[in-house]
Amino acid sequence: MRLLLVEDDVSIQQFLKRALFEAGYRVDTAGTAQAGEALALEGIHDGFIVDLGLPDFDGLELIARCRAQGSSAPVLILSARRSVDERVRGLEQGGDDYLTKPFALAELLARLRNLLRRSAPPPHEPTRLQAADLHLDLVRREVRRGDHLLQLTPQEFSLLEYLCRNEGRVVTRTMILDHVWRMRIDPATNVVDVHIYRLRNKVDPDTSRPLIHTIRGVGYVLKTA
Amino acid sequence: MWTTLAFALATAGAFLIVYFLVAQGIRERSDTWLTGETQVLAQVLADTPRDHLYQRMREIAELATHEVPDDRSARGERLNSVFFLATDSANQEAPLWVGSGPKEAFIAAIQEAKVVPGAPRSIRLEGLRQTFRVVVREQKGTTLYLGLSDGGASRVLQRLARRFFVVWVGMFLLGFVISYWSARGTLTRVERITETVARIGTEDLEERLPEPANSDEISRLASTFNRMLDRIQTSVNQLRTVTGSVAHDLKSPVTSIRGTLESALCETETERWRESVGEAIEHLDRLLLLLNTTLDLAEAEAGALQLDRAPVDLSVAVAQLVDLYQPAMSDREHKVTLDLEEHVFVDADSGLLYRMISNLLENEMTHLPTGCLIAVRLRSQDGSAELVVEDDGPGFPPEILPHAFERFVKGKHSPGHGLGLAFVNAVVQAHGGAVNLFARSEGGAVITVSLPVSVLQPS
Repeated sequence: MRLLLVEDDVSIQQFLKRALFEAGYRVDTAGTAQAGEALALEGIHDGFIVDLGLPDFDGLELIARCRAQGSSAPVLILSARRSVDERVRGLEQGGDDYLTKPFALAELLARLRNLLRRSAPPPHEPTRLQAADLHLDLVRREVRRGDHLLQLTPQEFSLLEYLCRNEGRVVTRTMILDHVWRMRIDPATNVVDVHIYRLRNKVDPDTSRPLIHTIRGVGYVLKTA
Repeated sequence: MWTTLAFALATAGAFLIVYFLVAQGIRERSDTWLTGETQVLAQVLADTPRDHLYQRMREIAELATHEVPDDRSARGERLNSVFFLATDSANQEAPLWVGSGPKEAFIAAIQEAKVVPGAPRSIRLEGLRQTFRVVVREQKGTTLYLGLSDGGASRVLQRLARRFFVVWVGMFLLGFVISYWSARGTLTRVERITETVARIGTEDLEERLPEPANSDEISRLASTFNRMLDRIQTSVNQLRTVTGSVAHDLKSPVTSIRGTLESALCETETERWRESVGEAIEHLDRLLLLLNTTLDLAEAEAGALQLDRAPVDLSVAVAQLVDLYQPAMSDREHKVTLDLEEHVFVDADSGLLYRMISNLLENEMTHLPTGCLIAVRLRSQDGSAELVVEDDGPGFPPEILPHAFERFVKGKHSPGHGLGLAFVNAVVQAHGGAVNLFARSEGGAVITVSLPVSVLQPS
């Protein structure tokens, strides 16, 4: 997949380009809205990442112009502005998703994945999920590790399901709160961690083959060690 | 200026109308007199024998003139000269003439004007300024003409016109002077206000405009400006407070982040290095949380918080959040009880509402020692939703209680940045509600949040 990144801050441009490359994307960059527009209109990109605070004209303007010219590829907006107004306007002007700076890389990659998947036809909704040696029955809300049936609360099941859907990818606490509890709060305490620890006690009772790992400073990941 | 002109035109118009009415009135009066006298003279003419006629007519004419007022001018001339002419329709005898001046001129004028019996008419004589009003009457072959000069009437009207003019000019000048003075007075006051407000810059926001006791428009303008300056001063002060406290609060976390990363530079072991960097990121996240909360708080206090309101089920929100916090709370051996009335809806910004409730719960968690009881209740009564969080912990230190909702107010031993309750207060107030804090008599604290219930219930 080929992406266009329009961002004027050079250091952000550099680290994003590297991270996206490592995640398997090809990335073109532009430092001004005008340069971005020129590249966008070539129509060769599968998705755009647009920063709003550009030097020549506003990122929203750029998106609107590209949409007017017939571009329909998904757009992820990056902005330091947090107000609800800005978010709504961004989405109205043709953006498909909105991420505030500073953001966790894991979250950017997750949202990007989501956006790009929407362009493709949606897959048939599975009734089963498998990750490592975990087998989840999504209809009966049961999970087995190997042959052993785990006794989980409904919340714990949802949490495990989310980790399994993102097998091998790091998820942040913010992402967990957003997708599992459907809340956007900024907890000052370790609420999510406690849920993870309880789940881990049930999923990884012996520490020889842990599946749920903590990545310091980022979040959690489910994978075989 | 324009009002003065309009006023002048209006009064001029009024004066003109009065003038014409007076002139008309005078004319009617003299016409009535003429017609009446003509009748009398006609009678006399019929009764008197011809030889005595002239003498008789003269007498009567003299008498008649004396009846007309204002006969003498300043120079003693007779202004209201009357003339009387009686002609024989067959012109067999010489016409009878009583009057001053040459009768030929009068006769010529009458014939030129073609005066006929009926209503009085005006005739003009050559060389004379005044016109004469003439009435004609025919009787038994004799035509009678009786004329009255307009002299007296003219003089009355002229005097009236002069007086009107003088009064009009006087009124015009007076009106002009008054409106000029009052306009200048108003403009001077406005000018003074403009100068003062321009002077009050960001250095000296203390100064205010004088507010006189009367309540006219300028005073109201001054007091409105003063209220606006009050608000600006509050905002500027808040800004100073925020930037000051943000600067202060940033220093410690930034210092520790820097320190952690610096030590990571020296780390050779990958795992330890990862630990250090991860720790630095966690510090940064906490810092970001502090920054965001401070910004939100500043916005809320400046009244600039943007709310995206929709009906939110408060009962469901509280239940969800307590569910989220339950494991963390039970780790600290806190026992939570819920007593929530169902379907209590409030018009709120869902994001801010959830953050507010999570702040309340976190506040309880972080300040209570282990093993406390936390009771959460929700009731709706009289259009107000009341959320109560009660605990049996040590309660708030008494010196803190009155300031609990201010920023950075916290007990000496409590962790955290002291913004939690300030945030709760700011969000609740922005939604039109109120927060209260009490100490329980049996020990512990009670926090009550009341919010207006949503008028429209979602279907």
